[in-house]
Amino acid sequence: MVSLEQLKEEVKKILSSGNIKYFIGYESLGSGWQVRPAFMRKPEEVDRLVWTPACFHNLVRFLHDEKRRRAREKNPDTRPVGLLVKGCDSRAINVLVQEKYIERKDVYLIGVSCELMGVIDEVKLKRHLPGLKPQKVLFGQKETIKVITDNDKEIEIEASEILADRCLECPANFPVVADIILGEKIKKNVTSPYQSISPYERMSVEERWSFWQGQFSRCLRCYACRSVCPMCYCDECVADSIAYAVTADTTADEKAQKIKWVERNPEPSENIFYHLVRAIHLAGRCVDCGECERVCPVEIPLRLLNKKLEKEARELFGYEVGFDASQPPLIACFRDNDPQDFIR
Amino acid sequence: MKRTGVFVCHCGINIAGTVDVKKVAAELAKHPGVVHAEDYVYMCSDPGQNLISKAIKEKKLDTVVVACCSPTLHETTFRNVAKIAGLNPYRCEIANIREQCSWVHRDRSKATQKAISITRSVVEKVRRNESLEDVSVPVTKRALVIGGGIAGIQASLDIANAGFEVILVERSPSIGGHMSQLSETFPTLDCSQCILTPKMVEVAKHPRIKLMTYSEVQEVSGFVGNFKVKILKKPTYVDPDKCTLCDECTKVCPIVVPNEFDMGLTGRRAIYIPFPQAIPATYTIDEKACPGMFDTAIACGKCADVCKPGAINFDMKPEVVEVDVGAIVVATGYDLYDKSMMAEYGYGKYPDVLDGLQFERLLSASGPTRGRILRPSDKKEPKEVVFIQCAGSRDPELHWPYCSKICCMYTAKHAMLYKHHVHDGQAYIFYIDIRSGGKNYEEFVHRAVEEDGVLYLRGKVSRVFEDNGKLIVWGVDTLTGKQIEIAADMVVLAMAIRPSKGTEELAKKLKIALDKDGFLAEAHPKLRPVESMTSGIFLAGAAQAPKDIPEAVGQASGAAAKAVAILSQERLFHSPTVARVLRNLCTGCAMCVNVCPYEAISLKEGKAVVNEILCEGCGTCSASCLRNAIQVKNLTPYHIQEMIRACLGG
Amino acid sequence: MAEEFEPRIVAFLCKWCSSAGADLAGVSRMEYPPNIIPIQVMCSGSVSPLYIFSALSHGADGVLVSGCHPGDCHYIKGNYYARRRLALVKKLLEYIGLEPQRFQMSWVSATEGIKFTQIVKDLVRELQPLGPQNKLRRKF
Repeated sequence: MVSLEQLKEEVKKILSSGNIKYFIGYESLGSGWQVRPAFMRKPEEVDRLVWTPACFHNLVRFLHDEKRRRAREKNPDTRPVGLLVKGCDSRAINVLVQEKYIERKDVYLIGVSCELMGVIDEVKLKRHLPGLKPQKVLFGQKETIKVITDNDKEIEIEASEILADRCLECPANFPVVADIILGEKIKKNVTSPYQSISPYERMSVEERWSFWQGQFSRCLRCYACRSVCPMCYCDECVADSIAYAVTADTTADEKAQKIKWVERNPEPSENIFYHLVRAIHLAGRCVDCGECERVCPVEIPLRLLNKKLEKEARELFGYEVGFDASQPPLIACFRDNDPQDFIR
Repeated sequence: MKRTGVFVCHCGINIAGTVDVKKVAAELAKHPGVVHAEDYVYMCSDPGQNLISKAIKEKKLDTVVVACCSPTLHETTFRNVAKIAGLNPYRCEIANIREQCSWVHRDRSKATQKAISITRSVVEKVRRNESLEDVSVPVTKRALVIGGGIAGIQASLDIANAGFEVILVERSPSIGGHMSQLSETFPTLDCSQCILTPKMVEVAKHPRIKLMTYSEVQEVSGFVGNFKVKILKKPTYVDPDKCTLCDECTKVCPIVVPNEFDMGLTGRRAIYIPFPQAIPATYTIDEKACPGMFDTAIACGKCADVCKPGAINFDMKPEVVEVDVGAIVVATGYDLYDKSMMAEYGYGKYPDVLDGLQFERLLSASGPTRGRILRPSDKKEPKEVVFIQCAGSRDPELHWPYCSKICCMYTAKHAMLYKHHVHDGQAYIFYIDIRSGGKNYEEFVHRAVEEDGVLYLRGKVSRVFEDNGKLIVWGVDTLTGKQIEIAADMVVLAMAIRPSKGTEELAKKLKIALDKDGFLAEAHPKLRPVESMTSGIFLAGAAQAPKDIPEAVGQASGAAAKAVAILSQERLFHSPTVARVLRNLCTGCAMCVNVCPYEAISLKEGKAVVNEILCEGCGTCSASCLRNAIQVKNLTPYHIQEMIRACLGG
Repeated sequence: MAEEFEPRIVAFLCKWCSSAGADLAGVSRMEYPPNIIPIQVMCSGSVSPLYIFSALSHGADGVLVSGCHPGDCHYIKGNYYARRRLALVKKLLEYIGLEPQRFQMSWVSATEGIKFTQIVKDLVRELQPLGPQNKLRRKF
């Protein structure tokens, strides 16, 4: 079990030392079971910290803002940012280091192991408690989640019933990079790491199209998925080149060469193009933190796209995402025996 | 770009026979941005070119598309027309409506429609082309030749005689290579050293050749015309200007180690000269063998005591020399495949089983036996000698799949010379085929059979083993179908030719490729045999593939010519359709740096930067970039998108 | 009589091998259907996944990418990257329900005019029964 007291101690220690700029953790919303990211600058603030199965946000995303802030300021504070990371989050850090977006020394990581559990899926939680409103959600003993409802009833639910799908397939339930790790580093025994996508792989071409077309036609192109993704840090997304990042030294030729791959209107063809580009750009980079799917307002099962390419990267090319910050990116390396049976 | 001219060629009936060229011109005239469209029977002819030139000037065209044959034929022609007419040549593009349209389709209306689509797509491309000027860099007028064998010597002489400085680097104490170890050469039976040493002396005396022996290339950076090379000069501990070759030192040196020049058949001292005609003419102390190399005390020093000219200097230090060169020729030669790799023939354990170079040393009048053929084991003259061809070659299962090319000839030579030395000896040659394709080669082999009584047996040898002082050879004669057993006194193996030791490491330093067998890879197996895939680095001699002396010399001259072609230019020009980084989009992820085959991209201050001379414009970087931040000029994703749109008529 | 559907295929051919192979097919006066429109790129390694998606979005019924055989790339290793990148594109397109025949890759060397001809013929034949590509096509 991860001790919240120990977590608070560690954060208090690092904040007191003055060696980090601020620390990002999770705090309770005030009422209800949900949590939100918390920014702490002073040691006294550590009492705000919580660690519950509702801590599903990927805090690595906030490093984008930190980097942009530093680029704007004349004399930026270059102390590292403190961050609470789960296993998936830590792999996101490795990918960002691999791509030189940040340096390892730019972050101070307090890792938390999910032990044999993970974070919950809100939809599954609601389904499990029909008619009841959860007030608190806590880690129980022996792989259960304890839910306290608003009439003070305590219910214990098997973790596997309400954990997020990604947690059930997780390859790294404890951080692979961190300055300190709290909790036991037990590897979960995952028998089918690609369980969630196999029904779709088994479908016929037309069944798959029918499913995905149904999903993409609902997309509003709100870009919430892109905004929340730690890997989507490009100043200008190729799928959205309205927001031209034009600076003082953009030449006339460069401006003339700006290309529009996708139109703005949320027509199915444009939505599909956007999602295909995002999926292919995340191949070998997505760590399956599940945030894109969680934040989608129309509940498109986005991680099914990224998980498929993660599977292909593993099976076709032996590539694992986010375990080794020094490995080359997936599409910037090759093996002599890469499969080519699909090539005539 | 607002004023495009389209010129549709009939190419006689080659295009016009299938494609309605007048219709193509008419349709393109309606295309937005096209202000001139015409057709003509032969656009590449003078009148055709004049039409283009005239239209550029009169209609003030800013871009030109010629719809004709494949660009491989006339892209340069039409770009020159544009240039002369005052239009930047990179604003002229070709639409291939012949090889990829009129010649492969029969339906007139469909072929015409396709020709229109193709031409439209090229119009959309060229309208977004920038005016580009060829990139140029200055050229360092000096060549580096790595390897001082016959190929390296020839290349050095050719480049130096053309008027350019050459630095010839050789890792052993003398130039000459394997050719200096040979006794006589086929098919003339010329004395090898007699024809080699005059060239070696020419190198030594040549005012433009700087000879660096006992030296090795450490590091190479830069690019064609502008290489920077670091060369390690190993200390010989002997001053070449003072050494008189009196040989007193070897008489007192207490250390004996295997003599490389005699392929281990004899020993040499720690202080030695590889062979009497060595160039440079000086002795060398092998510091690995000599015990006298300590900082505190000289352990031995006997040689220095007897050296009257005082040439020995134990204080010599290794030196790293940095040189700038414009072109590099790699002529690092071959070594023989090691006998220890062949279980069939005794793992190299038997002293009387020799390889080709060892036998060559026995034949040599200045060799370990002064030209007498004697068994290394008991110094007796062998009366029955078996020569085995293809030892390690033509063997895809166990050893090397290729043919080593020269073994049939030198084995015939060995057998003939053996018979000349030992008149009552019997020579047997086990062979699979006889490859004697060069000039006078076939006649040479016949001499061995007809004049010298060499017995050729067509079959492989399965085993060689020792029994009672004799070497038992088990082979087969496939022409009679009989199994053969010979109790031989000596066996000579024609071991496979391998690239010399250290070739792989050197290739990494030079960033040149190796082929599947470890030889240096040529740019094209048929048409570019002396060029590596790296611009400015050329290949000569057996390092590229097994070959005989005339071929090595020819190739060396070829490589020299290529090097001179670079060195003789004031500036090197390079196609300007290279990659360019849009800095405001680049996040410094270095994916492009990783994928570039020419290592032309580097990171500076967190953004990618392209070396325009190294960049070949392949575009692999562009496809790897998630942000389209790096693009190839005049073939950017924008160009491609417009071409796609035009192709599909939307 | 219903007119046979004629698929429109965009082909990205690498300049040094596949486009030269297509030229050889022309020089040898081979015959193949005119459904294929070639776009010459320098190297198969320069074909970005965005080009494939863009071609499909603009209504291509099929897309072909053809490059040099592994080991023969004029630019040394561009085709190895193409092989990896486009394998992922192919898996992704099939996964969302695009018929697998609509995106193909081939290795065609400068001497393989006959192979190029056959590939085009096979591709057209495979695409004809599938009808127009309406799944990813932009409809406005």
